[in-house]
Amino acid sequence: MKILAAFEWSFIWDNRVELWEGFKNTMKVSAIGVAGAFVIGLVLGAVRAHRIPVFSQLAWVYVEAIRNTPILVQIFLFYYGLPQLGYQVEGFTVAWLAVMVWGGAFNTENFRAGFEAVPKHFREAGYALGFSPLKTFLNVTLPIGGRIALPSSINTYISVLKNTSLMLAIGYPELTTVAFNIQAITFRTFEMFAVLAVVYLVIVWTLSALIRLLEARLALPETR
Amino acid sequence: MKRLTAITGLLALVAAIVAALSVAAPTGKTGPETEATLPPKPRLPALPAEIRSRGKFLIGVKCDTPPFGWQDTSGRNRGYDVDVAKQFARWAFGSASKIDFTCVTTASRIGTLTSGRVDMIISTLTWTAERERTIDYSLPYYGAAGKLLVKNAVIVGRLNSWMPGKKIASTSGSIYDRWVKNCFTQSTFQVSSSPSAGVLAVKNGQVDALMYDDAFLVGVAANDPELRLTNHVFLKVPWGVGIRKTDPQIKAWVDAAIRGMKARDMFWPILKRTIPRRFYPLFRLNAPRPKVNLKFPRGTVPEAACPR
Amino acid sequence: MPELPDWFRPVAEYMLREGLPETLKLAALAVTASTVIGIVLGTLLTIHFLPLQSLIRLYIEVWRGLPILVTILFIYWLPAYDVGPLHIQLNAYMSAALGLSLWGSAQVAEATRGAVQSIPKEQHEAAAALGFGWAGRHRFVIVPQALRRLLPPMVGLLVNIIQNTTIAFVIGINEFLQAGNRQFENLTTQTGNGHPFTIFGFVLVVFFIISFPLTLFARYLERRLV
Repeated sequence: MKILAAFEWSFIWDNRVELWEGFKNTMKVSAIGVAGAFVIGLVLGAVRAHRIPVFSQLAWVYVEAIRNTPILVQIFLFYYGLPQLGYQVEGFTVAWLAVMVWGGAFNTENFRAGFEAVPKHFREAGYALGFSPLKTFLNVTLPIGGRIALPSSINTYISVLKNTSLMLAIGYPELTTVAFNIQAITFRTFEMFAVLAVVYLVIVWTLSALIRLLEARLALPETR
Repeated sequence: MKRLTAITGLLALVAAIVAALSVAAPTGKTGPETEATLPPKPRLPALPAEIRSRGKFLIGVKCDTPPFGWQDTSGRNRGYDVDVAKQFARWAFGSASKIDFTCVTTASRIGTLTSGRVDMIISTLTWTAERERTIDYSLPYYGAAGKLLVKNAVIVGRLNSWMPGKKIASTSGSIYDRWVKNCFTQSTFQVSSSPSAGVLAVKNGQVDALMYDDAFLVGVAANDPELRLTNHVFLKVPWGVGIRKTDPQIKAWVDAAIRGMKARDMFWPILKRTIPRRFYPLFRLNAPRPKVNLKFPRGTVPEAACPR
Repeated sequence: MPELPDWFRPVAEYMLREGLPETLKLAALAVTASTVIGIVLGTLLTIHFLPLQSLIRLYIEVWRGLPILVTILFIYWLPAYDVGPLHIQLNAYMSAALGLSLWGSAQVAEATRGAVQSIPKEQHEAAAALGFGWAGRHRFVIVPQALRRLLPPMVGLLVNIIQNTTIAFVIGINEFLQAGNRQFENLTTQTGNGHPFTIFGFVLVVFFIISFPLTLFARYLERRLV
């Protein structure tokens, strides 16, 4: 109880500018990462589901390589490796690139499962209506498979958000890094981590609740 | 013949008296001591009971900053700071292996000390008045100066005219961090997660210069044909061993040990082991020696002392 | 086999000798703790007693919702807690193990709940008909069957925890990635070229060699057991 008595809200208020900047950075990186992961997952998931030769295998290599290795190692490879190849990258670029590549791999599997779960007779109906394979995909498989994949995709996007905290390792000032640096100088551990806990949990819980809502409402009529 | 015998006897007597005097002198601590007459180990105050019963030191050192604190491929801690720590262990417990090293970074070292995880930190800790409000410093054990690392083609004139608009890297919470933010408000300060990350930032062109301690940068510039040091020298403030304010016993012990090492000129051989031979003249005045005294600039705020 | 440059051998040996055991030790402890705690919590979660369910549910949602990095940092940097003569302060290894275990046990608890609840009602009824009470029913009939269904996600958890041990490097644990990072820093400052692709690529490959077979095994189990 001594701990709670010493908790100072004013301290959080004093540092609100830096914390707010950190929060904005977290959101920026997450937004780009999620958008990129969505596109990658959609495209490569379709490639994998339709077993397009060569690209399907390449996508498989990408997915397995990313999913079976730690994201922190991937971050280091981007951060220290890209400059060696001649690309001048700052922390922000490495941050969204790393989470996008990571999220894209998981999302590929989400969408692949979603597309493959579209009942076969839907696609056959599309062909019967004279749609080409591409049109069938765009008008039938994608909308339905996308809906099936939505819950697991959102889970991946939540993980993308949480993984932005790892940018502490490259010194990019997102929320966790900023809070940690403030804590290192001022030793206000409780206050800083209270901020982090509240921010992350509120966002994560809201998105999780969204998933549960969507799962109920987006279920295919037949499975309801 | 008789005269020869007498002279020989007289000489022998004189020699015996001189020998007796030189043997008798070191057992007391009275009067000024010369290096040749010091006992190998100074008289040291008692360590706190907790450390004595543990039988070893817990010391925080850098593991990413050669030549002061780093780890080689056999996993051993090495460097100037590490060797100083080992000397402490030899004098406290009889063996240099009676230490558990904890790796710290510039950002984490004070927190690691104040949270009680280590007995002391010997981790390139420059003295500042601000830090002394939170922790205690021992006597100085190394006289560092800051230098600027740039790419070969970069010409830097006076700092005041070159710095505005430039991107400068250093580690978070370092004295350079403060100095740049205080004195060069028109420069952008970029945090490097480690000194070597700062080196890479310079090489890749992400920053214009890295500001860090002389011995580290000297080694980098010597090993990298693309980088060089400018002639500027700044923030000449010594380092101390960091000790909790609640541990005056530890401070007393460390101060006595440093005094003992200084009087026996033990810092200079350690420094010579850690830097290449050709740099010896450059660093002659960096280690405390019988004739080289280091002092903390108490009463001034070095990180606010801006060049005119 | 490509020609390996001279510098690589001592670096690789250092990484494998000093870093990899730390990674595996940490992973082993975290997986064990997560499994034990998670199975217990997950089973308890199926009891229809609201206060207990709410508490366990809170535990699960908090430790799954926070980034593992934040959890580990918080545990490590918390001021030491003095309870009378006891001075409670976790060292880096225990902080990392605890952080990973909190997350891992939350995952296992959720999976266990799902597995236990997926056991058909008939099993409960048959066991009750045989005279088993709640505890006996769960101990001898329900949970063993649930455990079989848990096996694939458990192997998946093992893979995840092995990857997540790298997070512990921010509190100074010399695990495999950090070992590689140290050598990278040394090489950068002492030779001007740190060879990031080789070193971190090596880290990547080793993690892959450890994780991929486990992932395949998990998929195999899923096909065979469920």
